[in-house]
Amino acid sequence: MQLSNHASSVLETSMQQNKIDDAEKKEIEDLISALPQDRVVIYKNVVSNPIGDIYRYNIHIRIQHMLTFVTFLTLAFTGLPIYFFDAIWAEPFNSLMGGVNVSRIIHRTIAAVMIFSMIYHIVTITLGPLARIKLGIFDIRRTIIPLFKDIRDFKDDILYFSGNRKERPEMDKFNYKQKIHYFAAAFGNLVMVISGSSFLFPAFWASILPDSMVAHFQELMRISHPHEALLALLVIAFWHWYNVHLAPGRFPMQWTFLTGKITREHQIEEHFLEYLRNLVEDPEEREHLRDMMESRELLNDDDTEQKMDAGDSSS
Amino acid sequence: MINKLTIIALFINVVLYSNMATASFDDDEACLMCHKYPNMARITDDGARRSYYVMPEIFANTVHRNVPCRDCHTYINELPHKKVDTGVTCNTECHSIKNPATGKPFSHKIIYDAYSKSVHGRKKIETSLENDKPYCITCHTNPLYNPKEEAPPKHIIDRCVLCHEDEKFAKQWYKHTSRRINEVKRSSIEIVALCSSCHEDQKLIDRHVKQAKIDERALGKKFPVAVESYKHSFHGKLTKYGFTKTANCLDCHAEKDNYYKSVHEILPSRHEDSPVSKTNRVETCKRCHIYADESYANLDPHPTSYQEDNVFRYYTEIIYSLVGDFALAALIGLSILETIGRRRDGVAWRLLHGSSWRRKSKRGRDRKI
Repeated sequence: MQLSNHASSVLETSMQQNKIDDAEKKEIEDLISALPQDRVVIYKNVVSNPIGDIYRYNIHIRIQHMLTFVTFLTLAFTGLPIYFFDAIWAEPFNSLMGGVNVSRIIHRTIAAVMIFSMIYHIVTITLGPLARIKLGIFDIRRTIIPLFKDIRDFKDDILYFSGNRKERPEMDKFNYKQKIHYFAAAFGNLVMVISGSSFLFPAFWASILPDSMVAHFQELMRISHPHEALLALLVIAFWHWYNVHLAPGRFPMQWTFLTGKITREHQIEEHFLEYLRNLVEDPEEREHLRDMMESRELLNDDDTEQKMDAGDSSS
Repeated sequence: MINKLTIIALFINVVLYSNMATASFDDDEACLMCHKYPNMARITDDGARRSYYVMPEIFANTVHRNVPCRDCHTYINELPHKKVDTGVTCNTECHSIKNPATGKPFSHKIIYDAYSKSVHGRKKIETSLENDKPYCITCHTNPLYNPKEEAPPKHIIDRCVLCHEDEKFAKQWYKHTSRRINEVKRSSIEIVALCSSCHEDQKLIDRHVKQAKIDERALGKKFPVAVESYKHSFHGKLTKYGFTKTANCLDCHAEKDNYYKSVHEILPSRHEDSPVSKTNRVETCKRCHIYADESYANLDPHPTSYQEDNVFRYYTEIIYSLVGDFALAALIGLSILETIGRRRDGVAWRLLHGSSWRRKSKRGRDRKI
């Protein structure tokens, strides 16, 4: 396949960072050029282990996801019946959570766990890239930081979904959806922590803010806390679950959040640039891909054709 | 046969009568002569049905059982009596009951005077909007001693009579003291319900707001939304769920000193002696929020999003709703677009062969596109 300029640049950077020698470089380039041009053909023909083939998230990220997952739902379930106090389901739901005498303690304790998870995450995502910069293997395109390319990807993906483009864009380790989701969650988290603290420590906020702002700030927080919670819950229910459970190809669920691995098929489909890096970093992956493509007679290099010819003549 | 029935009837009558006699009070003034009849009632000029039936066995278990009728109904001077215009007022001195502490005739005068000076103070008979204010009996009925107890527990009375000898006396004291110990304060939920019975009445609120405008008289800013906004505040929500440590109406609007008196002395927030007035607010917040200061007292305990009440909240709410609706529509829209758009990838193929656990099925093996 012929790589786009952006993909070639990603591949080039990766080979430089991994100090790939010329022989290996040629092998990688040969393999890539021998792949069919249509990525759909590639990902539909690779063999994938449902619980994941390619390393994606380290154990810290997985723990943080688990913490966020558990704390978020617990916080939502203990908090919602208080906000929707006059809804028909509020009273029984609140009783289910142990009544307000219990749920208020749960809510605060779990909030503390959530803040711990947030700090833990900040430490992880700071130290990781710092270490990579030091080792000279840092690539900003491989991080969650939004870039202009994401806007282009978003546009291209919409064009593809609406039938105005032949293929989905080549996306990086984190695609535009994941970046939006991540920063929405990060922002929401911050809003929840600040607004929550303004309920728990109103006197503290009143003492540090100017008198003219105190009431407005508190009102803003009183509105923000439930609205943000509701928005987050809806995003989880309608979007996150869609993307990780319900979207075509993901049903019933992805195992990445537990195993830290992504399936080969998914990586090629939605994170093709990251897959190129995987090819550079992991000789075994190249081996696998070559074998799989060869076994399905999808490699269009000269060797394969010769082999096929020989096979045909012998049969 | 007839004789037998007569005897049985007589026997039943005697039993019933004796029961009634033990439970009833001393009707020295012979009021029950007429008021014992259940049909003792009339329809007032306003069309309201009023019953004047007194059930002696019930009255005998109420806290006023020892007060003769005419101690309160002082205007009754002859039988049959004339039409009653004024009714009972609660500041009347009892002639028959002495205050055991002072030896003087008993009365509710202290609390009545305190109440009269409060914003709720009114006369018994009022015709203007004053009539909306609560009179004593709006909040206080003539309660039974201990509605849950049919009779004082035997094991307690058994102990009392060993010294106090007279069982009737012991039972009276038990009823008097146990009631006051059992029901020292109304619960927060009861207090909110009680205040709400008037302050949540939209018609009442409307006519007072209207009249205040005509009179160009100041009315509390939160008066029209008092209950609604309280219910939407943290204080209100937690109270609703039975949490008792959070503020109910009286925790802020009544003075901290002598709760039982101060709840009768409620003043509007514009009155400088009110605990929620601008000058006293900080101290009132400090009753619970020990770190409260001037700045803290700016927080609104009755928040609403009405434009006339809080413009900032009103617009914030609108912006948040728009952002929320937009985000939701965008997310669902994108999901639908993606599902439809990816039909080209083959949804059926994906369900059968997608990289989920279904790939473990044999159907996914050795495929080629």
